[in-house]
Amino acid sequence: MTSRRLATLASAAALLAGLASAPKPAHAQSYRAYVAAESEDEVAVLEFTPEGGLSVEKVIRVGRWPAEIEGPHGMFFDPSGAYWYLTLGHGFPNGYLLKYETGPDTVVAATELGFFPATVSLTPDGVLAFAVNSNFYGDHVPSTVSVVDTQEMYEIERVTTCTMPHGSRMSPDGMHNYSACMMDDQLVEMSTFSLEVTRRLNLVTGEPVAGPVAHGAGMGGGGMSGAMAGGAMGVTPDGGAMGGMGGSGMAACSPTWTTLSGDGRFVYVACNRGNEIVQVDIESWSVARRIPAGGAPYNLALTHDGSRLLATLKGSGHLAVWNLGTGEQLAKIESTQKVTHGVAVTPDDRFAFVTVEGIGGQPGIVEVIDLANYARVAVAEVGKQAGGITLVPGAG
Amino acid sequence: MRIPTAAALWSVALLALGASSVDAQAPARIVVEEETLTLQPGENGQIAARVVDADGNPVDAPIMYMARGARGRLDVNRTTGALQAVYGGEYLVTLMVATDRNIRAEMVVSVPYPELDRVDVSPGAGGRFYLGTVVRHEAAVYDVAGDVRDVEPGWSTSDESVATVDRFGVFSAHAPGQVTLTATAEGVSGELRYDVVASPVTSISLSGSQEVGRTGDVIHFEAAPMAGEAASDIPVTYSVVPYADIEATADFPPAEIDQRGRFVAYRPGVYTVMATVPGHSANQTIRIEPRNVSETVEFIGQGAVRDVPTSDLWVWEGIDGRDYAITGTWGAFGATYWWDVTDPAAPVLTDSLVVDARTTNDVKVSEDGRVCVISREGASNRRNGIVIVDCSDPRNVEVLSTFDDELTGGVHNVFVHDNHVYAVNNGVRFDVINIEDPTSPHRVGRFELDTPGHGIHDIWIVDGIAYTSNWADGVAVIDVGGGDRGGSPSNPVLMTRFADIGGATHAAFPYWSPTGRFYIFMGDEIGRPGFNDLDAERTPPRMAGYIHVVDFTDPNNPEEVARYEIPEAGSHNMWIDGDRLYAAFYNGGTRVIDISGELKGNLTLQGREIAHYSANDPDSFVPNAPFSWGPQIHKGHLFIAEHHSGLWSVRLQPRRTLVP
Repeated sequence: MTSRRLATLASAAALLAGLASAPKPAHAQSYRAYVAAESEDEVAVLEFTPEGGLSVEKVIRVGRWPAEIEGPHGMFFDPSGAYWYLTLGHGFPNGYLLKYETGPDTVVAATELGFFPATVSLTPDGVLAFAVNSNFYGDHVPSTVSVVDTQEMYEIERVTTCTMPHGSRMSPDGMHNYSACMMDDQLVEMSTFSLEVTRRLNLVTGEPVAGPVAHGAGMGGGGMSGAMAGGAMGVTPDGGAMGGMGGSGMAACSPTWTTLSGDGRFVYVACNRGNEIVQVDIESWSVARRIPAGGAPYNLALTHDGSRLLATLKGSGHLAVWNLGTGEQLAKIESTQKVTHGVAVTPDDRFAFVTVEGIGGQPGIVEVIDLANYARVAVAEVGKQAGGITLVPGAG
Repeated sequence: MRIPTAAALWSVALLALGASSVDAQAPARIVVEEETLTLQPGENGQIAARVVDADGNPVDAPIMYMARGARGRLDVNRTTGALQAVYGGEYLVTLMVATDRNIRAEMVVSVPYPELDRVDVSPGAGGRFYLGTVVRHEAAVYDVAGDVRDVEPGWSTSDESVATVDRFGVFSAHAPGQVTLTATAEGVSGELRYDVVASPVTSISLSGSQEVGRTGDVIHFEAAPMAGEAASDIPVTYSVVPYADIEATADFPPAEIDQRGRFVAYRPGVYTVMATVPGHSANQTIRIEPRNVSETVEFIGQGAVRDVPTSDLWVWEGIDGRDYAITGTWGAFGATYWWDVTDPAAPVLTDSLVVDARTTNDVKVSEDGRVCVISREGASNRRNGIVIVDCSDPRNVEVLSTFDDELTGGVHNVFVHDNHVYAVNNGVRFDVINIEDPTSPHRVGRFELDTPGHGIHDIWIVDGIAYTSNWADGVAVIDVGGGDRGGSPSNPVLMTRFADIGGATHAAFPYWSPTGRFYIFMGDEIGRPGFNDLDAERTPPRMAGYIHVVDFTDPNNPEEVARYEIPEAGSHNMWIDGDRLYAAFYNGGTRVIDISGELKGNLTLQGREIAHYSANDPDSFVPNAPFSWGPQIHKGHLFIAEHHSGLWSVRLQPRRTLVP
C-alpha cells in the first residue's frame, strides 16, 4: 500500500470518526432512538438529552391494515442515517421489510419476506439487508434469512438456515452475517458475498455442525402428539417470567441474539434458555468463553470501546452489564416493568437505551441507563410491547 | 464509534479528496465487457467484467452478480458470473463490488424464447355457423415448451365474401359457404373451419319469469327460436331498452341482462327486453317497481367499552334461560367481558376475565351455552393459544384450561362446533381441538391448504361443513363431519375452493336461499393501498373491500354473481338471519341488506339496503367514529360489536308512511 493510499484512508477514517463521535458541547448532547411497539403497530421516535431527559418526539403508525396487528419488530438504520428499515412480522401470511425515509418517516419501498421477519441488519455499505424469517409461531421446520437489495428493495435470495432464526448481525467488515437458531441451538454464519451458509456451530456442544436440526414434524408429519411442542419456555432459574419466544422444543441454549466485537474477532450469542452468553472465536470457530447470565438473556450490545457487554434479561426483567476483560458482572439493573427486550449503546458509550415490552395492557417503555454509574436516568412510555430499537447514526 | 469498513473508508476518501486525486487501487467502477449477452436456452455463458480504480487500473476486488426476477429462468452464479440460460426473456443483471455494493454496473442477458408451436382457437370446433350471427373468438398461443405466450395473433378468413373477422377475433358471417378462420402468430397458425348456412329460424318467442318485478329481482328470460322445430344451437343475443323512471347523466346503467337471459334492474321503470337471432327478434316489456325495503333503526341500548377497542361478540341464551353476550378486546390488556342482555336496553356487565394477551380477538360459545372459548394474541410469553372458560354462570366465569400447544402464533379466530374448537393458527391453518372434557383439551386434527403462500383468516362451521376464509385463496369448503367426503374433526377433507375476484377473503358466511340456491358471502378485508397513513393523528382508521356473493349451488362450478359494496368503507364480519344480511363495514357502520330471491349484480344499487346504523358515541376514546366489527341477530335484536365503543343493541322498525 502506498503512503498516499494510507493517507487517504487515514483522512477518511478521521472524517468518519468526526461524524460519529466528535465531542459536542454538553448542552448540545442529544441522542435519538426509533423504537418499534409490536402490539401497537407504532414506531416511536425519542430524543434524549442528559439535561432534558427522554421524550417521545413523534409516533409513526405503521402497517397497512388498521384492523389487524401487523407486528413491527426489527429495526436498523442505514449507515448514512438517510433511511431506516423495519420488519413487519404478520402478513397474510408473509411479513415485510419496509424502507423509511428519515425525517418525513414515510415508507419509500417495501418488499415481502417470509414468515415473521424479525431482526434485520445491514451491511456497512447499507446495500444488503439480512432479515431473519423467524417464523416464531410456526412449525419447527428450518426457516430462512432473506437477503434484500435495499437500493431496489427486492429480495435477492431467501437462504434456508435453521429453525427460528433470530438476532441477525453483521461482521464489522461486512463480509459475513451471523444469526442464531432458537430451536436448533446453532450459530450460523453466512457469506455476504456468496449469500450461502458458510459455517454452523452448535452452541451447546461447541462443535461445528453441518446442517439444521431435523425436528419432529408434529401434526404435519403425522404425529399427533406435537412432539416438539412440549411445554412453554421455562420459568427462569431466578424466578423471572418466561423469557423466550413462543415455541418450545429441545433447545438447551435457545440462542436469541448475536453481536460482533468491534475487531471482528468474536461473536457473542445470548443463550436465552441456557442462561449464559457464549463468546465464539470467529477464526477458530469455537467457544472461547461462556458467561453465566441468569434471567434469560435476550438481546445484546457491546460498548464501542469493546470493554463491556450488555444484555437484556428478558425473563427477570433486567439489564445486565459485564466487564469483558474480567468477566465480572458490573451491574444488574432492574427494569421498571417486566420483559426487557432490546438494548442499544450510544456511540459515545455514555448511555444504554433499553426497551421493555411490559405485559398485557402495560405500555412499552424505553429506559436510559447511564453507563458511568448504571443508574436509570430516564424513562418514557411508548406503545405496547416495545421491542426493536435503533439509534440514529451520528447522535451522541 | 462504528468501525468503518475499508470499503466505506475508500468511499469517504473518494468523496473527500476527489476521485481523480486517488491513484491507489480503490474500486471506483465496474467495467462490463459486453453490455448484452445472448444465450440460447440451455446454453452456458460467462459475464466478463472487471473492477477498476478511478484511473482505470484493474483492482482485485470481487464482484457479486444478481438478476432480479430471473429465478428459475436464468441461473446466475452469484460470485463468478457464470450463466445458464433456462427460459426466454431479457434479464437485467446487476453487478456489485462485494466490498462496496454501491459501486454497480448493469448488463442484459437476452435469451430467445422457444419457437411457437401451436395456436388454439376457441370457442368450438368449427362446423355449422349461422348466417348473420357474430361470435368473438380467442387464441391461445403455445411455444414448444408448452407454455402460453403473450403474443397477439393476427386474424383472417379464407373468403371474406363468406365471413370476416376483425382484430379482436370477432367473426361475422355474411354469405353461405365454407370458410376457414385463422389466427396466426409468428408463422404458426390455428384454424377453425366453418360451414356458413342460412339461419333456419322462422320465428322467435320470448318469455320472462315475471312481468312486474322490483329492483334487484332477477327475472329470467328464455328465447325460443323456431325452425320447424326448435333451433337450439343458434346463438341468441339478449339486450334491454330502458325507460327508467329517473334518468341521470353518466349514471350507472338502469338495468342489465346477461347472455343467459338473466335480467336485473337498478332503477324503477319500464324495460323492453329483446331477444335477437338473424332476421328475427322478439321482445317483452316489463314493469319494475321500487324495492321499498327500507326500515328505520331504533337504538335500544349500549354496553359501553370506552377505554379499549372491542373485537368480536357472541350472543346466546344461557342455561338459566337468560340472554348473554361475550365481547373480546383488541390491542389492549387481554380482557373479555360478559354481559346480561336479557333486556337489550340495559346490558349489564356480569363478569370479566383478563388473560395474558393484548388481543382476545374472537370469542365463541359452545352450542349448550356452557363453554366459552377465547382466542389469544400478544401474550407476553408469546405462546398465545386459546383459553377455555366455564361460562355456564356468566356472573362467575372460571378458566377451565388453556391450550397453546403448537398454537403459539396467535389464534385470531375460532369456532366451536360439536365439542371441538376449530382454531385458526398462525395465519396458515386451523387446528381442531377436542373439548369433550374442557378441562383436558387435546388436538385431534389439523387442516392446511397446499397452495403457494396460502393463509387463513377465519372459519365458520355449519352442520359439519367448515367455511374458511383464505385471502387470495378465497373460501375453502371443508368436510369436518357433515359432508359426503368422509371428513371428520380428526380428518378434515377439502370439498371445494373458490377464489373471488377481490383476492382478499377475510370472512365467509353460507346462506341457503329459499330459492334453492346456495350462496356464500365472501367479505374482503383491504387496508391502505400503501404503508403510509394519512394524517394518522387526526383521521380515524378506514378500511376497504366489499362482499362478494358466490353462487355455490353447483359446488363444482361456483359463480360470482353479485356484490354488496359501499364506496367509503370496507367489509368486516357478517351475519345472516332469514333473508337478511347484516354486515359490519367498519367506518361505514352496520348495514342490513335484503338478500331475498335470486341475487345478481350490484346489490347496493338495487335498493336492497334495508337499514344503515352508525354507532356514534361522543364519550368513546375515539369519539363519534363508528367502526363496526361484527353483528349478530339474537331473538329479533341486532347486537353490534363496535370497535370504539363496545356492545350495542338496536332494533329495526318498519318505516312509517307519511300521510300528508
